[in-house]
Amino acid sequence: MNELNKNNIEIADEAGDKYKYGFVTDIKADTVPVGLNADIIRLISSKKGEPDWLLNWRLKAFEFWQTMVEPSWAKLSYDKIDYQSLSYYSAPKQKVAPKSLAEVDKSLLETYEKLGIPLKEQEVLAGVVAVDAVFDSVSVATTYRAKLAEQGVIFSSISEAVREHPDLVQQYLGSVVPYTDNFFACLNSAVFTDGSFVYIPKGVKCPMELSTYFRINAKNTGQFERTLIIADDDSYVSYLEGCTAPQRDENQLHAAIVEIVILDNAEVKYSTVQNWYPGDKDGKGGVYNFVTKRAACRGKNAKVSWTQVETGSAITWKYPSCVLQGDNSSGEFYSVAITNNHQQADTGTKMIHIGKNTTSKIISKGISAGFSNQTYRGLVKVSPQADNARNYTQCDSLLIGTTCGSHTVPYIENRNSSALLEHEATTSKISDEQLFYCRQRGIGEEEAVSLIVNGFCKEVMQHLPMEFAIEAAKLINISLEGSVG
Amino acid sequence: MTKLLQDIKLIGDEIPWLKDFRQKGKDEFISQGIPTAKTEAWKYTKPNRFLANDFSFCPQGSKDISPYSIEVPFKACQIYFENGIFSHHDELPEGIEVLPLIEVIMFHHDLRDKIGALAEIKAHPFAALNSAYLNEGVYIHISANVTTPIVFVNHITPQPNGNMYNLRNLVVVDDNSSAEVVEYYCYEGDIKSSYLVNVVNEIYIGCGAALKHYKVQDEAFKAGHIALNSVKIKADGLYQSFCLQKGADLSRNETKVVLAEEGATTEVNAAYMMNGWATIDTTTDIEHLKPFTKSLQLVKGVIGGQAKGVFQGKIHIAPQAVKTEGYQLHKAMLLSDEAEVDVKPELEIFADDVKCSHGSASGELDQEQLFYMQSRGVGKDKAKQILIDAYLNDVIAKIDNENIRLWVKSFIGEHD
Repeated sequence: MNELNKNNIEIADEAGDKYKYGFVTDIKADTVPVGLNADIIRLISSKKGEPDWLLNWRLKAFEFWQTMVEPSWAKLSYDKIDYQSLSYYSAPKQKVAPKSLAEVDKSLLETYEKLGIPLKEQEVLAGVVAVDAVFDSVSVATTYRAKLAEQGVIFSSISEAVREHPDLVQQYLGSVVPYTDNFFACLNSAVFTDGSFVYIPKGVKCPMELSTYFRINAKNTGQFERTLIIADDDSYVSYLEGCTAPQRDENQLHAAIVEIVILDNAEVKYSTVQNWYPGDKDGKGGVYNFVTKRAACRGKNAKVSWTQVETGSAITWKYPSCVLQGDNSSGEFYSVAITNNHQQADTGTKMIHIGKNTTSKIISKGISAGFSNQTYRGLVKVSPQADNARNYTQCDSLLIGTTCGSHTVPYIENRNSSALLEHEATTSKISDEQLFYCRQRGIGEEEAVSLIVNGFCKEVMQHLPMEFAIEAAKLINISLEGSVG
Repeated sequence: MTKLLQDIKLIGDEIPWLKDFRQKGKDEFISQGIPTAKTEAWKYTKPNRFLANDFSFCPQGSKDISPYSIEVPFKACQIYFENGIFSHHDELPEGIEVLPLIEVIMFHHDLRDKIGALAEIKAHPFAALNSAYLNEGVYIHISANVTTPIVFVNHITPQPNGNMYNLRNLVVVDDNSSAEVVEYYCYEGDIKSSYLVNVVNEIYIGCGAALKHYKVQDEAFKAGHIALNSVKIKADGLYQSFCLQKGADLSRNETKVVLAEEGATTEVNAAYMMNGWATIDTTTDIEHLKPFTKSLQLVKGVIGGQAKGVFQGKIHIAPQAVKTEGYQLHKAMLLSDEAEVDVKPELEIFADDVKCSHGSASGELDQEQLFYMQSRGVGKDKAKQILIDAYLNDVIAKIDNENIRLWVKSFIGEHD
């Protein structure tokens, strides 16, 4: 083993205790009793004042969930989750829903400030970003709604949407990810507490980037977000999702669903920066992240693009997918995943080509260090009627140290002769030549590694919106901090 | 359970080692059963569709001496099997020893350990089935640099439908020895004869030794052919293989190579060509266990009709197996709208200082190339033929031995 590798291992060892956002906010959480049964679901539903159809849907999902088996095909190993020992609802205790920021619990605002979320009006103005901040499970503040409402854009929490726009919710909820889809999606359908709802009307180009910060706070609380985005004909929206969670010893479960419906000529850009607590350097604690994200391009010329930067979570199980139903629709997936210490990530995408002339592109960059294991798992499927489908896939992995693992498991299923599918994958380490080149020009080793890694990820980073790109670049540096020299 | 497993009295059941070996295979096959779409390793191939026709083990086959004989058009030393039964072999050049496997089990106890050590029955249900009927097959021992190719022929003569032929070979290449082995599976008579050939080859390659292994599978259109080649290579050894799968309704050629010591190299190439309703599967699994090992794979296929091509390739690099190289490329051409190709190229890497890549592409015949040829007066069918030949030639050109290369090429022709 050469000197660099030795160094890398040491660095990777040290990197664990650098979790920047590890703190717990002391707020009285309104928590439902521990455990999961039909009564708990009824309780959650009644606390949220939901209509009967939604309660029935939840109960159906729960019934189905009981017949399901937790999947074990992913390259992940973790202690069995006891679903009965979790609490399925936790909302910050507030008597009346706040109308302005002044009414919001002060310690909550402080937490967001520490996280650097521009929640306050002037900060929002500075960033021109509307934030539907989700604290644990209930949306506590929504800003910029007035401006969005002018254009007819609906941007609210999903519970609010259930009350105010029941037709839209009922029409689309579960239409992209049915509750029968998979174990975690089914669990989410039964117990989801809140999330965001976005509706962009016909012909509207959303004037600003919409963003949500998710945060897991209350102890022992599983987080079950549900996001529904509907882009009507000829509309456009860019949606940002960013996550940080406080430091915890116990593993926390997160099973979210994101559903996106895209109609004729509409476009949705969905960007994520995920930086939940990854556990300490011995692999203790950390968030379990089991997410189902799927976009359905239902209309002609519909377009969706997923961009993700994944640096956190002890366990990541996430495959943002595109169902390309409409003719000429297109799907893109750009991903950077960094795992360090004992983190495990099994992530990738699915591109399902159904319509004619559909195109998809997958760019996945994985960096593993320490004792971590990372898997790219992807599916490209071309159905018989998808004439002239095109796919290009590129998965590159970078390994730092000899104790980590990097795996690539693509599935390519082609049932149409006019389809053209290409797949490439490479695995390598940071080349000694590149490092040497930087070093002899006076760049420190750590800086050089971060430079090279940033260059490695560049293709993905440039697809992130500005605000996110800066944060993501910082995150990559934090994740690899101290990993050299 | 189907008729695949039956209680049949086989030669050698009185030998405790063999009886035990067969029993283990039997138990394992019963516990695993026939793979389904839910079995990850058989996800795309789904043998149960084909095995819905019941096959039963055929222990003795035709007792008549066959009037047919198969000749390859080049100088070779042939080992001849008829209907899965060892018949005879040509005079052997120096450095080659050929024995029926059953004889090895009876009289060469030191070789027993090698049987079943590479073909893991836990991971391969058909290897388990093969072990349950362990009987026919040969032991080929190479102890010098042999220049004459050894051609192993299994010839199916007209037989009632529903037979299963079970073959098991053990190849041992001594240190610093080398040879070329050709496997040839063919049939005589009705193109629609339905039978199943289940082959397991276990191949040991010594230090600095080299084995070039070529295979042509040209079974009848309603037949099944399932093969597992399990190879272990010692330091600086080389295993080079090429497999053309052309016939059968269900065909799978699985190659597992363990690069067990430093400097071991392997090249696993394959081509497949299919029409009708067939499923053709090429599966590879390369395990790099030690530093400075190298693997190369190139697989190309042409699929027409309603056929399905499957490629599953895996490169595994163990921790500490640094300075290794693993390359893999799969390309498929679909000739018809109902054709299908399913690909799963997999990398599993636990060491950082490696160079590893895989690529996969699938598409139709290039219309521009076709147009170019037609505009120069080549008829459409002829042009198609030329383009397909050129497409597959890429991988066939990797066969070093010219005689064998030309012979393999002769199997490619006539597509719709």
